[in-house]
Amino acid sequence: MSFLGPAAAVASPPAAEVHTLATRAVEALEVGPLEATLYGLLAIVWIAGLLVVTGLALIYLERKVAGHFQCRLGPMRVGPHGVFQTLADTVKLLVKEDFVPDRADRVLHVVAPFLALASTMLLMVIMPFSPTLQVADMNVGVIYVTAISGFSVMGILLAGWSSNNKWSLIGAMRAGAQIVSYGISATLALLVVVLFSGTLRLSEIVQSQADGWWIWRAHGVGLVAFLVYLVASTAEINRTPFDIPEGESELTAGFHTEYSGIRFAFFFLAEFINMFLVAGFAATFFFGGWMPFHVGGFAAFNATMDVVPPFVWFGAKTCVLIFVIMWFRWTFPRLRVDQLMRLEWKVLLPIGFVNLFAAAFVVLYGFYFFAGP
Amino acid sequence: MAFYDPKGARAGVRAVGGLEIPVLTAPRLKHRGFLPDLLNGLGSLLAGMRVTLATVIRPSRIVTRQYPENRATLKMYERYRAVLRLVRDGQERHLCTGCRGCEKACPNGSIAVETAKGAITGKNELQSFVWRFDTCTFCNLCVVACPFDALEMKGDFEHAVFDRRLLVFNLNTYAGPHAALWDKVEGEEQRARLAQKIGPYDGPVPLNGAQLPGLPARATESGGKA
Repeated sequence: MSFLGPAAAVASPPAAEVHTLATRAVEALEVGPLEATLYGLLAIVWIAGLLVVTGLALIYLERKVAGHFQCRLGPMRVGPHGVFQTLADTVKLLVKEDFVPDRADRVLHVVAPFLALASTMLLMVIMPFSPTLQVADMNVGVIYVTAISGFSVMGILLAGWSSNNKWSLIGAMRAGAQIVSYGISATLALLVVVLFSGTLRLSEIVQSQADGWWIWRAHGVGLVAFLVYLVASTAEINRTPFDIPEGESELTAGFHTEYSGIRFAFFFLAEFINMFLVAGFAATFFFGGWMPFHVGGFAAFNATMDVVPPFVWFGAKTCVLIFVIMWFRWTFPRLRVDQLMRLEWKVLLPIGFVNLFAAAFVVLYGFYFFAGP
Repeated sequence: MAFYDPKGARAGVRAVGGLEIPVLTAPRLKHRGFLPDLLNGLGSLLAGMRVTLATVIRPSRIVTRQYPENRATLKMYERYRAVLRLVRDGQERHLCTGCRGCEKACPNGSIAVETAKGAITGKNELQSFVWRFDTCTFCNLCVVACPFDALEMKGDFEHAVFDRRLLVFNLNTYAGPHAALWDKVEGEEQRARLAQKIGPYDGPVPLNGAQLPGLPARATESGGKA
């Protein structure tokens, strides 16, 4: 990566050593295959548990936030302040009839929700929660993130196609167009950070922000990239104001019109975990991930910030971003299909490209803050 | 798309069919180029987000009420239409003259008024004002129709019962003249004979004075417990 010039000279800070579950498994292989398998199982349990817990928490949070945005209280009855409401709803969904339409493509109809959830789970693998709490850390992390998030459209398209329902199909087609289009802008925004940090590995991107987060270290370019990423990724996960694939008023429920019970729950879960993922990646790329908040030169302040564990830093940043995404949902009206496409191709994409070029210049001339020793 | 510029809005007057109607005119929002439009749009999005955040950070704006936990402190609105009642004067006398205006105004026949000529007054007197709580749609038309303001829709909303028949009852507590007519009658002895007490489930109602064993009757403000 030497052609990037100064970017390659990013100060490698004495940050905590990254020790992922995958590397631990490889190390354990020297002891014996059983130990390595145990680490693999631990990773699976961690991902699955996180998926369920985060899903439940986010759905509860969304309903609470929605309530307070609308001068309501949200769930209040099941458990103290309704904390068990989502659990009760999940049980309800589990015992509901599993319905497949008469002339639907049975196999695809059954497989689609799993595909939607699979991409979400795969993205969870690479999410750097903390130096030690990451399942796998590959050297093509950013490419992996973009590729797998584009893969999520498969489940949606299959769901719409296999339902044998006009609304489902239209919803799925819209989702396809939307996710493919906005994926470009999201990737362009991430490339800015790749330019600055000079690496595709997520843990190294996080470590490159030890002196300052890329959102303000990059002379405005980072801020623009963050805004583009926020808008594009909100569209990529079909959240309001970009939720035309569901579009209740026109498509009943879009691609999951014909889904009920646990399969519907899978789509729902994938949608909410995707929100967590988007917020988590935004935190990783632009807000320093699990890095504590540091100000150059203030050693005492930095030491105080280091007391807070990295996991908490990541969680706090992600929570704030999740709130912002929810805030979007309860503020903005839904875009029309043509407006949606215009926003991407005529507004976000030009901005993304210009921003990428600007970022390249900033990087070439080492024109960013806290460039390191 | 029609976007209008609220800053350029001007109040004016437009003559429409001989009338001068005050109107507010706003010019079309002009396209000022890519960046100004973009920043303008971002600004308006931020303005919207500020409005919604203001709601979130002020829990005092929450309108949800935790019923029935708040039953003790619950206050219904002045105009809440809970039950139909006969307006009473200070001496618990109704104002109904028995004109049947409400019965005619009722769109689904939920009111039946029975009158009879009074022996002492010689005028129409209310015998029973039967209201069907179970079919009433609370449209308020009877209250509007009443020329003597003898009806009102107010009060409490907890009226669940275990038998539908309990929802058809008399609103009046006595069969007799209205308050104004009552005052015209001379002599204490005569007045004492004016009214004949009736309960909410007496007379031409499904229960007709009977009681449903084991079922509590409605606690009504209009008629009191049977």
